[in-house]
Amino acid sequence: MDAVTPLVLEAVRFGYGAEPVLDGVSLRIGAGEGVALLGANGAGKTTLTRLAMALRHPDAGRVVTAGRDTAGRRPEDLADVAGYLFQHPEAQLFARTVRAEVGFGPERLGWRPERVGAAVDHVLGELALEPYAGRHPYDLSGPTRRLVAFAAALVANPQLLILDEPTAGLDRAARARVADVIRRRRAAGVAVLAVTHDLGFAAGVLDRAVVLEGTQVSRDLPLVALLGNHPRFPAPPLLDLARRLGLGGAAPTIQALAPLLTSHPETGTLEA
Amino acid sequence: MSALQLEGVGFTYPGAPAPALRRCSLRADGGAVTWLMGALGAGTSTALLVAAGLAPRHTGGERTGTVLTLGLDPATPSSATALGGRVALVLPSPATQLSGIAETVAQEVAFAPANLGWPRGRIHEGVAGALAALDIAHLAHRDPGTLSGGEMQRIVIAAMLVLQPELWLLDEPTSALDAAGRAILHRLMRSEAARGAAVVIASEDADGLAGVADRLVVFEEGRPVLDRRPDVLLRGGEVWAAGAGSTTIAELSRATGEAEPRPLTVEEGVARWTR
Repeated sequence: MDAVTPLVLEAVRFGYGAEPVLDGVSLRIGAGEGVALLGANGAGKTTLTRLAMALRHPDAGRVVTAGRDTAGRRPEDLADVAGYLFQHPEAQLFARTVRAEVGFGPERLGWRPERVGAAVDHVLGELALEPYAGRHPYDLSGPTRRLVAFAAALVANPQLLILDEPTAGLDRAARARVADVIRRRRAAGVAVLAVTHDLGFAAGVLDRAVVLEGTQVSRDLPLVALLGNHPRFPAPPLLDLARRLGLGGAAPTIQALAPLLTSHPETGTLEA
Repeated sequence: MSALQLEGVGFTYPGAPAPALRRCSLRADGGAVTWLMGALGAGTSTALLVAAGLAPRHTGGERTGTVLTLGLDPATPSSATALGGRVALVLPSPATQLSGIAETVAQEVAFAPANLGWPRGRIHEGVAGALAALDIAHLAHRDPGTLSGGEMQRIVIAAMLVLQPELWLLDEPTSALDAAGRAILHRLMRSEAARGAAVVIASEDADGLAGVADRLVVFEEGRPVLDRRPDVLLRGGEVWAAGAGSTTIAELSRATGEAEPRPLTVEEGVARWTR
């Protein structure tokens, strides 16, 4: 992976009308970082992701995505370096089959058909979407469509993933698959910026919190330091439990905590 | 009469290889919160669309069996009119549910009451009450089109609440809501049930709903397979066999390999696992 910083915002100001939604926002996200973008409903989280993807452009300041200043650029100019999952993915699906949908980006990038096919197979497999490969995206349930849109965001191996509510509506199994994919991509150096209200998910796969409040970044700190220490961001169940059992150093995931609980045979079994 | 009654309902979306509902029977009564949960594709969302009449009126596809929503078949155009204002449907993508013509949030929430010919004073009072209940009074004069997904979700719910519906059909209504918004919605579901409304919610949020719903109906392959009090079902193994799952703490308990019944909440987990 090259040394280009996946996302840089410098003194960004942006508003849809006269009132700024963001004002004086600076942020730098390095390779492999996992950032939860948090804030109240309406704090400007989705707006910030749109700026990063060149769907909007700042009124002042700079947005540099994977080394490319977004000024004068369109979203398609970032397609090889940044993948985006919209909050409402019906906005981004248009092909006639899931396979064509997921392969569209790499085809547009000029990849050879064999390479497109292999990449599509890989990502459909990662998300257990193979059974839907020949289906029309619009025939799928909302949450399955969200997974297809996620696959499309992943397929070109971008160095930056921007995910707006990646787990909304997903069942437990799909949520776990999405978490695994994000962990693997981060380990390979991909930077992840996720807008999410699913704090349990966030605590399991991300480690930095950036909080937007009153048009600015009000907090930028380790995610576990925020959760449970701010009225708006309660500790999710696994983190809360781990802390109360004195296991606060363990990752707040099922995989990390389950062995610790079974490793103490004297920890009583409560008979009903 | 139940507020919602499905008897042996089948439904297949146009072009879909398999039915989304198969011999699906379900009743939901006023005064209770009925929670539908299932793995992706199990049919909970489709059951709500069928109950609201959107399937097949808007989706196309073929429905069989009997559906009675407040005593009427919602698939017929005449009942759709008769049910307007009495059934509240909240979908996961709120932007699609805004009228698109209101210039302010207050107008959006006043839209349906005005259409129904309510007197002015009653509209003002109802709108103020609904905005306060969703904690969005401060947005009253904003343009709904410029608001965030979570704010739109609250507006959509306020616009239904103002009508005091007899039946709520909520499909993943908390997907865009923050923790405070989810807490407001959970309180609202309880107060609406207390008012006598039937509240039916399809959701995967077991952590949020375990203490809110009166009844949990687990769907598998297009129909209910389990139907009991949530705290009873969620402690056992059947919810997992049906592909639905349980709370995060119950999932942790399951991963430890210990026996059922499983703890559901952090408090119960602390009690079980404290040395």
